[in-house]
Amino acid sequence: MIELIHVTKRFGDAVAVDDISLSVGKGELCVLVGTSGCGKSTTLRMINRLIEHSDGEIHLDGQPVREFREEVLRRRIGYAIQSTGLFPHWTVERNIGLVPRLLKWPANRVRERVEELMALLELSMTEFADKYPSQLSGGQAQRVGVARALAADPEILLMDEPFGALDPITRESLQDELARLQARLHKTIVFVTHDMDEALRLADRLVVMNQGRIVQQGHPIELLRAPADAFVESLLGGEDRGLKEAALLPVSERMSPLGPGPLAEERIARDATLREALSVMLWRHVEHLAVVDDDEVPIGELSLRRLVGARDHDA
Amino acid sequence: MMRKGRSSRGYGWLSPLLWLSLLLSACLGMEGLKGLFRLVEPDSQALIYDRADFIVLLGRHLLVVGVAALLAILLGVGAAVAVTRPGGRDFLPLVGQLASIGQTFPPVAVLALAVPVLGFGTLPIIVALLLYGLLPIVRNTLAGLEGIDPGVAEAARGMGMTGGQRLRQVELPLAAPVILAGIRTSVTINIATAAIGATVGASNLGDPIISGIVNGNTAHVLQGALLIGLLALSVDSLFARFQPASSS
Amino acid sequence: MRRDAVQPNIVLASLFLATLVAWLGLDAVSVAPNRIVPGQGVDVLGVAGWGGMAVSISPLLVALGLAWRPTPDRLRWSTGLVVLMLSALPVWLMVAAAFTVDPDMPQARMGIGGGVWMALFLLLLALIELRTRLTMPRARGWALLLVPLASLAACLSFGLEPLALRQEYQGRSEAFVSAIAEHLLLVGVAVCLSLLLGVGLAMAMRHWPRAQRVGFAILNFLQTIPSLALFGLLLAPLAWLSSRFDWLAAFGVSGIGWAPALLALIGYSLLPMVRNTYVALDEVDLDVIEAARGMGMSRGQVFRQVRLPLALPLILEGIRITTVQAIGLTAVAALIGAGGLGTFIFQGLGQAAMDMVLLGALPILAMALVADALLGALTDLLRPGGAT
Repeated sequence: MIELIHVTKRFGDAVAVDDISLSVGKGELCVLVGTSGCGKSTTLRMINRLIEHSDGEIHLDGQPVREFREEVLRRRIGYAIQSTGLFPHWTVERNIGLVPRLLKWPANRVRERVEELMALLELSMTEFADKYPSQLSGGQAQRVGVARALAADPEILLMDEPFGALDPITRESLQDELARLQARLHKTIVFVTHDMDEALRLADRLVVMNQGRIVQQGHPIELLRAPADAFVESLLGGEDRGLKEAALLPVSERMSPLGPGPLAEERIARDATLREALSVMLWRHVEHLAVVDDDEVPIGELSLRRLVGARDHDA
Repeated sequence: MMRKGRSSRGYGWLSPLLWLSLLLSACLGMEGLKGLFRLVEPDSQALIYDRADFIVLLGRHLLVVGVAALLAILLGVGAAVAVTRPGGRDFLPLVGQLASIGQTFPPVAVLALAVPVLGFGTLPIIVALLLYGLLPIVRNTLAGLEGIDPGVAEAARGMGMTGGQRLRQVELPLAAPVILAGIRTSVTINIATAAIGATVGASNLGDPIISGIVNGNTAHVLQGALLIGLLALSVDSLFARFQPASSS
Repeated sequence: MRRDAVQPNIVLASLFLATLVAWLGLDAVSVAPNRIVPGQGVDVLGVAGWGGMAVSISPLLVALGLAWRPTPDRLRWSTGLVVLMLSALPVWLMVAAAFTVDPDMPQARMGIGGGVWMALFLLLLALIELRTRLTMPRARGWALLLVPLASLAACLSFGLEPLALRQEYQGRSEAFVSAIAEHLLLVGVAVCLSLLLGVGLAMAMRHWPRAQRVGFAILNFLQTIPSLALFGLLLAPLAWLSSRFDWLAAFGVSGIGWAPALLALIGYSLLPMVRNTYVALDEVDLDVIEAARGMGMSRGQVFRQVRLPLALPLILEGIRITTVQAIGLTAVAALIGAGGLGTFIFQGLGQAAMDMVLLGALPILAMALVADALLGALTDLLRPGGAT
């Protein structure tokens, strides 16, 4: 879907992005993560040619991006940024309908699409359609920003720290929302952030960048278990890594079948994370939890030994 | 927010209409104020300035200022837009500095310098007003265009708007209040400078004042001053009507 | 790496090209046998012939070439060339005077032609552009202008007798000096009084917020009225007052003269002064004030040690705007007999003596520029943390 082949970007003498190669498959959510100034935003913006790359090639569906007309390319790619970039002089409705109108969709189709998107992002049409961006809260504005990026149903979505300016609670709920949307829409998403928790939470593929280079890429669990070097390790949180990994694994991964003994009193849902299970054990001072399914029916149990000791299980 | 603000600020049509009607009635019915002028010039024969109709002088004044303002808007906004496009960016620092240095030039000095080059009459006035009126318009248009939230500008590009679409749909509408403030400054200064233009042979509302000063007839001075004052207030309140936000 | 090669500086190139066109296309000087007769234009060829023309345009051509590949070194060379050309302009006028003005006609005078004016203007623009490209400090930019000014002074003291501007000056050097003094006095008094009044008003507005709306409405209203009209409108009441009260008349107050001028100047000066002072005092970062209070500073200490120093640059900005504006308005005040340099402008316009107009207008322009530069530099100096 998106392919970067030995891409380099120089600003004058400074090298912002240094010979990186990256391939993002269809339907994949790829997160670029790193400290500020590591070239992650530059990499993102080279894909829709807001910045032109100096060397190498960037392909979209096998076609070099340079072969597209800039505007045509960008209208095919959704784009959401931290500051939302909503046009302050346009209503929410007009903002969301921007790209479809640029693509000359008929007015009623634009209107329908806007309604559909506002429903998708749980923005009430009657309440928000005629509001101006200055009348929205940060979270609402960012939802509108995402809706605008999705408006023309692009296959690719580029997101540059879209939730960076939000408070932690709003940020988490929007992350959940994005995960939910992605499960439904299967867009190809390139997402830039410096927040490692956000990255771990969302990524199908995690790409760690440092000083313009890709240091390591792979599934979040792979990186957590085998960080390539000290930089990745510290970025992943050092001693905190165990908890971060636990937050990525569901209870169902470690539970054992129901035994003959009495059922533990404390319960945990099977799609809760191991981290949540650990937290319940700490809080309730217990070593065993009963695992239940969506209908609260016990389907297995989880012991502290099993929760923490995968190797014990292997042996 | 901007839209809502207009009606609630209390700048209706009322105050421009009021000043305009005062201006017109003063133009047409100056005779009615004779008693007032008698107070300052008890012995004068020609109490009311009569070398030309006030309404004609007002028309000429408006024509000169209007033509100069129109050309200044076209040229000024055009130049500011041109130097903020990729092709003209090289000229941006120079034009920006020129516009801000130019504002320190006193309008009278510019007018006076135009005469040796262009001669006496209406045309040099228009050219001088045009040149001087350009500066605030260029400066404010630049400030307006450069002051747009970089996030908004980036989003407009990232969404795939062409240069022209960005200019027409995003940049100019967002910069409009600042540009309008520049035009307001420009026109206000030009109404005043045009009046001084009466000294270099342009016939307009400055005439009664100049001739009153020369002939020692305070009544004529007052008549001219009254009309110019009313004209300035009418035009300014018209601008205030269209420009709700802070103008400072 | 070819792409990173130095691009031509099209701004400098077009400025130099325009200078070249103006230099060759417009009159260099105009010569008249006496003050009454309009001057006869003489172009570059007429002044110095083909050889002289070639010499006169050679530095321009070099500068044009340098602009093509503008490395920092070449830009510095260009700056030198531009300063050289500016300094050569007075010398050129001396050459022109020697070649075109008949020394046997003491009444003959030489005016500066469009070509020289345009060259001056365009070369100054080039200097501004070069200063920006070389990120030269403002002070050094001004210092560069001292060289051409010194050259002008030297030329004026050793020659250039036929220069019309100089002749106008010599005819009325005393009047000129006193006009400058009057002008400066009016501006100075108006600015000082409006500073005192303005700061007082701004403090009062901070104290009684209700007065603020009304106050600004009145000051805005005043600023809208054209200067000529305001001078005119003040004429009647002041005339009336001075006829009523002898002590006012004895003090020199009358319908015309300095009194209405000063009143109007103060009226116009108040808005920028009050606005800047008010904003300056009001908008000092609230966090800073909060921190100062939190550290246990008293109200007075906060005002003297925190608020005022932080507000000072903005207040100075108000003084700068006011001063520049007052310099221009004082010129208009000459119409109602307040004296100053405007007198020359309006007398000159009346007599169609353009050189006399220039004698009034050029110093006004220079005064405005110098006041702007000096007060701007002072503001930069006082801004905590250095210039921004």
